Formats: sequence, structure tokens, C-alpha cells
Amino acid sequence: MTDDLQVAAGPDSTPRHLAPGDVGLVAPRDFVWSQPFTFKSGQKISGFTLRYETYGRLNATRDNAILICHALSGDHHCAGWHSPDDKKPGWWNNLIGPGKAVDTNRFFIVCANVLGGCQGSTGPSSLNPATGTPYGILFPFVTIRDMVRSQKLLLDHLGVAELHGVIGGSMGGMTALLFAIEFPHFTHRVLAMATTGRESTQAIAFNEVGRQAIMQDPAWNRGDYSRDGGPRVGLAIARMMAHITYVSDASMDRKFGRKKKDNAAGDAYTLDMQFEVESYLRHQGQSFINRFDANSYLYITRALDQFDLAQAYGSLEAAFAPVEADTLVVGFTSDWLFPPEQNRALALALLRAGKRASYAELSTDLGHDSFLLESEQLYTLVRGFLERDQLYTFDYAI
Amino acid sequence: MNPLVAKRTVDMEIIGDWVEPNTRVLDLGCGEGALLDYLVQQKKISAVGVDLDFNKITTCVRRGLAAYQGDLTQFLRAFPDRHFDRVICSRTVHELSHPTEVIFEALRVGRTLTVGFVNHGFWKNRLNALLQGRKIRNEVYTTEWFDSRPANPVSVADFENFCATKGIRIARRAHLAGDWHTPRRTLPNLLAGFSLYDLAR
Repeated sequence: MTDDLQVAAGPDSTPRHLAPGDVGLVAPRDFVWSQPFTFKSGQKISGFTLRYETYGRLNATRDNAILICHALSGDHHCAGWHSPDDKKPGWWNNLIGPGKAVDTNRFFIVCANVLGGCQGSTGPSSLNPATGTPYGILFPFVTIRDMVRSQKLLLDHLGVAELHGVIGGSMGGMTALLFAIEFPHFTHRVLAMATTGRESTQAIAFNEVGRQAIMQDPAWNRGDYSRDGGPRVGLAIARMMAHITYVSDASMDRKFGRKKKDNAAGDAYTLDMQFEVESYLRHQGQSFINRFDANSYLYITRALDQFDLAQAYGSLEAAFAPVEADTLVVGFTSDWLFPPEQNRALALALLRAGKRASYAELSTDLGHDSFLLESEQLYTLVRGFLERDQLYTFDYAI
Repeated sequence: MNPLVAKRTVDMEIIGDWVEPNTRVLDLGCGEGALLDYLVQQKKISAVGVDLDFNKITTCVRRGLAAYQGDLTQFLRAFPDRHFDRVICSRTVHELSHPTEVIFEALRVGRTLTVGFVNHGFWKNRLNALLQGRKIRNEVYTTEWFDSRPANPVSVADFENFCATKGIRIARRAHLAGDWHTPRRTLPNLLAGFSLYDLAR
């Protein structure tokens, strides 16, 4: 997920966090699970922490919760502002808020940083209680299933009796689908966008280049590095490359074209920075290393590559056999990382398995990150899917 | 209710009679899902619709229907034989670019295929074309040539000939007069405004 699709809402005179439809100032909290947790790999940890945020209120019947699942580089801060001075709100602030498509007046929204992450949840950069030093690559391998199971423990802790819905894009879409498979009675609606039942060879290949950029950086040191050190060059390069896969040829061309930097040297016979797109990618890389841990990047991309519903359950139809949720899959025409075809395949397999599933496809040229798009069409669809029971009563008396 | 809206509900009534309760029904070209919604309410069917338009799919989703945005043929190919009890293709056949292929695929994935269409051979259409010498325009064909999508109009005679040539069994027919309401059994190619067929392999 890229960092730059957000546009702050509200007229200049109103503080942004007080704009209508904004959840306002929010604060993360920590859920501490202090019993042993066994990963799918069989490896164990003595407990874990998930950092999470909630917006809205859990109702008396405790069934109005919606879980938001983030993508590879996302986090628990999906809406609102941590302080009035924040440069940007949460990453899905355009979708989530009072009166918005995911309406916090109606629903209790939960979003947690994934297990294995580095934004406050337990992951490779956390201290190993056995050694007093960061786990590094001694941290157990994480799968999407481990993310799902740990977030279910959080939802139980919050008193959520059943999920009205689970929503996610990209890796978040995988998480959402697996929630409905692992906890079928608990999960009533799944909204999965720009996602897949398994990554293409090309997507794995891109992840591998990112991992190699990190692991070939001498500062990686087999995952053993200090908090402010580590493979900063490798991680920045991994991010620069990944960023290209999240957008599209058309959107990059529109944003930068072949524009040169103002201070670019007059002649082209130099290896110094020339094009704006170079400067932009370097900035993306640099800002990423200040907020993301290289080992987490290795672990989570590995979790993405390993995710394969068809292989894990025998077939996609077999994977979806237990599902009780209504599912809506949304693909985006310009997404070449998790292309429409892979999104369609999910909806078709659900339908073949006899489940209630819908597929919608939005024409955009923003690439994989289109799921973060500010689009009234998308908002109407999302709201319709989440609220439909209340919206329509048709009279067909003839 | 304006006449066109009244007409829209006609195939609902007849298809509603033909659909067995609690069956699995696929609507090809479901539009905003009005027919499926009606069938869900009246017959408790398990419904899926297919359409090409994002906003129509959105309306289906808002109605609580399962709907798939995409190409009909590709959708049908993704399903095993007889996955659906009934496939409905009402007021869609004249817009198909490969009608034979879609109809055969629909007969493969469905036990029964219901086809409904405006009869292009209806006498008023013939007269209109003869007298005006222009694209037929009336309350059914509402648009000028330059505002119309490409269409492949079909008459009762065309469709009967198609079924006979391809060996498709016609299990049931319903021909309706120009009001799309009064049953019309004689000379349907001339006198029927709208016709419905139940087909089987």
C-alpha cells in the first residue's frame, strides 16, 4: 500500500479532525494475550500484544462490529487522527467515519496491527522474553491464519459476539476471507478488495526481490540488528520496487510524466537524480525505513507468498465450503498485482460452493492501490453491502 | 404505473409461475435485480444475477442479491453441468453477440432455460417499419437509431426455427398480445408482442 492516496478532508477553516464525517482524535490501545500462542508452523511464543484502534460503539447485542484488516505495510490506524498536527489521518479515513460508507455511528470498528508486524504488535522487532533481545529471525514464521486467530482473540476480549463484517484490501482481503473460513458462525459479511486466493508467480517474484534487497544488505546481519540500525538501504530499495507494483503505468505517467527535477543538471550525462519519479521513489523508500522493520517485511511478505487457499484445503471450493458469510469481492481493472481475474476467481469459487457471493469491478487507472480510492461509486457499493437490510423494501404486489 | 413499467412486471408474473420454490436460479442480464428480488420474495429461490454494469451490480447488492459483474459466457463456463435449476435470459437474447453459444452454455449449466423476448415479428412492428421506413419506434423500442445500442432483434419464427435446427426441446411457451398481458395462442409470430419459452436439452 502506498502512502500518498490520502487527501485531508474539510475546509481550511475547520481543523481536519473536526471535519464532518471524521472520527476525530483517536488513540491506539494494546491487547495483551499472556497465554502461549502456537503458530501454524508449530512454533510457540509465551504471549503477544496486538496494537489496535476502535471507533464507534459496540451495541447491546454485541453484533455490530466490523473488523478492518490492513495490507502488508498498513497498520491499526485506519481512521481519525492521533493529534491535530498529524500530517495524515488513518489510511482508510476516506471510507470510515460517522456517516461514511463504513459508518461509525452504526458500527463498532476494530482494526489491529497484525501479528508479526512492527507498529506496536508483537513481531520480529519485539523483545524475546527468553533472551531480552529482539526476536529477529528467531520469531516464529507467521501465516495469514495466525493473523486471523490472534485477531479473533482480540475480538473475544472486546466482547464481540459476532462480526457484522470483515473488510480488507490486498493482504487484508486474504485475512477477511480466511476469517469467514476459520470462524464461519462468527463472520456474517466479507468484503474483500484487490485480493487473491493465492499470489501469482509474478507477485512472489516481486516479493523475493524485496527480500533479497534486505537480506543482501550487510546491515541485515541475519536479522540481528539494533532498533535504529538495520538494512536501511535494502529496505528502502524493497519499498521503492514494491511501490511501483502498487500503482500503474498510467497513474505514474499522469503524476510525473518525464518531468525533470528543477535542480537536475542541464545535461543528461550524469547518474545524479534527473527525473521526478526518481526523487519520489527515493522519498517513498526513505519514509518507509523510518516506520517499518525489515524483518517484519521479510516475515509478512513470506506470509503473503505462502497463502494458498486452494492448496491448503484441496481446492478453492473446498476452502469455502464452511463459509456462512455473504461475500462481496471487488476487483480493479488496472490492478496488475492482484488482477481482476484473481478476484473474479474467488467469487466464482464461492458461487460454485453454493455460497452467496458477489463480484464488482471498478474501472480505475490507479493500479493495486485503487481500493483506497476516493470514489462515490465504491462508497455506495460498500455502504449498500453493509447496510442493505435497512435500506430497501420493494413492493412487488401486482 | 406507466405502461412500460406495467409491461416490465409481466415476465415477472409468468416466470414466477414457472419457477419452482427453493430452487437455484441464475439470471443472465439481471440489470438492477428486480426479477430476482421478486423471485426471492415469492419463491424463496437462491438467486445469482450477472450483469456488465457496476452500478446495476451495486443496486443488486443493496437489494441483498448475489450478483456478478462480468461477461455472461465466461461466467457460464466457470460452472459445472446442471449447477443451476433454472437459468433465465429475459429481454437479454437480442443483445447477445453469440446467442447460440450463450444459450447452449446456459442449457448445460441449468436444467431449464427460460428465454423471454420482445417479438420483432409483431404486426405493429412490421407495420411501423413498412410505413415509416425507419428504425422501429414505439413504447417498446423507445430510442432513435442514433441513441440505440447495437441489437439483434428476434421474432417468434426466428426463435422457433433456432430451437428446431439446434434440436432444443421447447418444454413450454407463453405468447402475450401487444398489451403483454392477454394470452395469444394463434399466429404468435404476427400477434404476440412478448414471448416466453422454457427450454431443455
